[in-house]
Amino acid sequence: MSKDQVGINELKRRDFLRAGLVFGAASSALAAGYAAVPDAFARAVYAAKQGGVKNDNVLVMIQLAGGNDHLRTVIPLQDPKLHDLRPVLAAQSVPMALPLNSSFGLNQNMPGIKSLWDQGKLAVVEGVGYPNPSFSHFESIRVWETGDPTRRQVEGWLGKTITKNYDSQGHPLTGCACGTTNVPGALRDLHATVSVINSSRTFGLQGGTRTETTAGALWKGTPGIYGALFDTAISTVQETIASVRTAMRSQSSVRYSDNAKLVYPSKTELGAALQLAASLITSGSGVKLLHVTLGGFDTHQTELNRHNDLMGYLDQSVAAFYHDLDIHGFADKVLIATWSEFSRRPQENASGGTDHGAASAVLLMGNPVKGGFYGQTPSLSDLDGTGNLKYTVDFRAIYQEILNNHLGADAREILGQSFDRVPFLKRPSV
Amino acid sequence: MGGPMCFNTGDPVGVAGEPFRRRRLDPARLERFLPRRVTRRHVIGGALAVGAGVSALRLLSLERKIPSVRSAVVPKTEGKTVEWPSPLAQQTARIAHLLRRATFGAGPDELEAALKLGYGRVVDQLVETPPGEPPAVPGNSADIGALQQWWVDHMLATPTPFAERMTLFWHGHFTSDYRKVGTGQPYLYWQNLTWRKMALSNLASLLMQVTIDPGMMRYLDLATSTGKSPNENYSRELLELFTMGAGSFGEGDVRAAASALAGWRLPVAADNSRVGIFEQRRAYSGGPLTFLGKTGRLDLKSVIDGILASDATATFLVTKVVHHFVSPAPQASYIRRLADEFRTGKYDFKTLMRSVFLSPEFINSQSYRSLIKSPIEYMISALKALKAPQLSGLVLEAGEQMGQMVFDPPDVAGWPNNDAWISSSTVMARINFAVSALSQLRNLPPAGDLARLQLDGVLSPVTTRLLDQAGDDRTRWTIVLMAPEFNLK
Repeated sequence: MSKDQVGINELKRRDFLRAGLVFGAASSALAAGYAAVPDAFARAVYAAKQGGVKNDNVLVMIQLAGGNDHLRTVIPLQDPKLHDLRPVLAAQSVPMALPLNSSFGLNQNMPGIKSLWDQGKLAVVEGVGYPNPSFSHFESIRVWETGDPTRRQVEGWLGKTITKNYDSQGHPLTGCACGTTNVPGALRDLHATVSVINSSRTFGLQGGTRTETTAGALWKGTPGIYGALFDTAISTVQETIASVRTAMRSQSSVRYSDNAKLVYPSKTELGAALQLAASLITSGSGVKLLHVTLGGFDTHQTELNRHNDLMGYLDQSVAAFYHDLDIHGFADKVLIATWSEFSRRPQENASGGTDHGAASAVLLMGNPVKGGFYGQTPSLSDLDGTGNLKYTVDFRAIYQEILNNHLGADAREILGQSFDRVPFLKRPSV
Repeated sequence: MGGPMCFNTGDPVGVAGEPFRRRRLDPARLERFLPRRVTRRHVIGGALAVGAGVSALRLLSLERKIPSVRSAVVPKTEGKTVEWPSPLAQQTARIAHLLRRATFGAGPDELEAALKLGYGRVVDQLVETPPGEPPAVPGNSADIGALQQWWVDHMLATPTPFAERMTLFWHGHFTSDYRKVGTGQPYLYWQNLTWRKMALSNLASLLMQVTIDPGMMRYLDLATSTGKSPNENYSRELLELFTMGAGSFGEGDVRAAASALAGWRLPVAADNSRVGIFEQRRAYSGGPLTFLGKTGRLDLKSVIDGILASDATATFLVTKVVHHFVSPAPQASYIRRLADEFRTGKYDFKTLMRSVFLSPEFINSQSYRSLIKSPIEYMISALKALKAPQLSGLVLEAGEQMGQMVFDPPDVAGWPNNDAWISSSTVMARINFAVSALSQLRNLPPAGDLARLQLDGVLSPVTTRLLDQAGDDRTRWTIVLMAPEFNLK
């Protein structure tokens, strides 16, 4: 179905509502062909700001907060230097790694992502970083969130993408943070309206429409410096409730758990957040840019078991999420990417852990991906003055590829400059 | 950290080295306020047209009589913001404002007692009264739920709520979480007692204590750091998040302090100690270290001395205190004044807090309702107003949805504040808390005077209209607890 056929270029808020109602009413008839209809519906939602709707692709960014040790994620199998620098951690990582090729293997707890590799659906970009790296969590998170190593920008790169490309005021689910209570920095932009859904279990207002009406009236038009913030928050609550209500009505007809043997891990909030993300995507709620977080990567101490566990959580959550999308017919639309503020230092410390490092590896997963290795692996024998790896790929080159060739946005407009292409996508999917 | 620290360019405080904190002191957010505050002040018609000059008395007494004027207030539209008219020229409102910020708000009796004392003596009483000791943790402190409940209960019951506000402030600053620290040892319980005891001491003593606090030693890994292979986690956060702020030190300083602070281990039962134990054999034994420009022998005491000798420290901490107690966007001159005083006053917390509460900036019209209650403050103040300490279990349930539960901060920077508390998700949680608390109470305190008692009689037109229309006390309580006015301080 081409864009012209569904006429999505012209869709506005009104049409979204109409489509929603129609969709809701027709939901009982959808049991057989549910996958196709949410697709069309999802298309309808993306009313573009300037009539230039791009496509109905979805991006899911997974933040590995605290600084993920990429040398225990995508493990170098042949480099003796790794054993010199981290005798304990390397000895417990290399032999049990799941080989991707002769040089690299995934952490032992990542069989699900390994299976994506086997299907050509995992791209690994090596040596990702930026000039003059900061070793502060918060500064480096900010650099990644704003896409600005000079630390001048304040708006998030996804927030900017929303502002420049979508009419988020009518569609607060365009950008959505799942499994948290706050808007993550990457989605933040003064002009973007962004939803935050902590959990599907607690989502909604107690007291129903009466509460909604009273609270809506009270919080709108609040005087004072927080007026705009309160106004946006309550409007987003109302719009999000409306969107989710409409979308979920459609999904009630899908015997979700019967269609798939989905096993989202129960031990971690990432599993719950991705399950929520999947239901928002597959129900056609109109989500476009999603952000979820797995924390706990600041492994200064006793890294081995903790990091293995984290890799397991990531793997199980992503595997279940991918499977979920796949059986609902959405896997072609969704790109999954990991990011972390930095990696760990190659040399291990006396606490059985690693301190803050620099260049990292980024994982890109899903059907839009052209599997393989990209970038250039930094040499473990050529560390910088702080004992850290020298980056070879600017992290913004990854953003550029996502923006230009997955979301159909203008990366230069968002990032302010161009980078050498890192072609990890199968084709420009615009 | 080699690169230029240009990040502060837009910071209205103009503090060198102000670090980025996720969801906390984010200049992006401050920027949202400043231009609007300056350029969007709008004349709002009728009696309110004079803005800051509105008579507080009229506001306090006439909310019923001037509905037509209130409805003349133009609701905010794109590009326009009306200000809350400040009632702080009036003594009652000023004291209510102080108690909202320094405690968890005041009921009619507390307010009356405070009025008799007068503003200055209320400040004296707040900072001079020693903290009320909490009871022993009922049951097992290894049960994190019991520990959280214990502190929440104490916040509701204590006769010295300012001590709890300060303890909560330090818990967010020198933060630790139960996930990393664990609950097998009563480390977090001890830490809470220590923070309360030292909440109004001075920075040098507190930093010494923080460094060798077992909960902190485990949270930031100092317990396993050795001179041969120092762990940088505590050292970095000591400089970046606890005292000086990013940009005011270098990577070499982090490494030097990490070496100097190595050698402490957790206490075992035989030590009979609630602080870390120093072991020379695990300590750094190499040559002289260079820390903040000075080279020589370096140990815990000299690291702290070096930090206190840096100008960045007072500025950094004062900025944080001001963001929590005064304004999200203070003037640089105000910060400078308080920081100079803090530094020359040997970093004494009592003196600092007294200066803050007595400063004109604390009670000027821009300060009025310029802060957002944290979830804990919002919930505790609501339950205190409702006289419903029996609902403290609800605080634990709802806190997580609002983004705050004690002993469980989101990360090493503690909790965010002010505007970062508000998202579509947390607004929903705040509203749900109000609905849920009220639904669990059969009897409610009288609500006839709520607008004056809880909200200084300063209401938005919508709040006024809804309260006027409300037919019973339950509805009035619902409106007041849900209202933005009650979420601000």
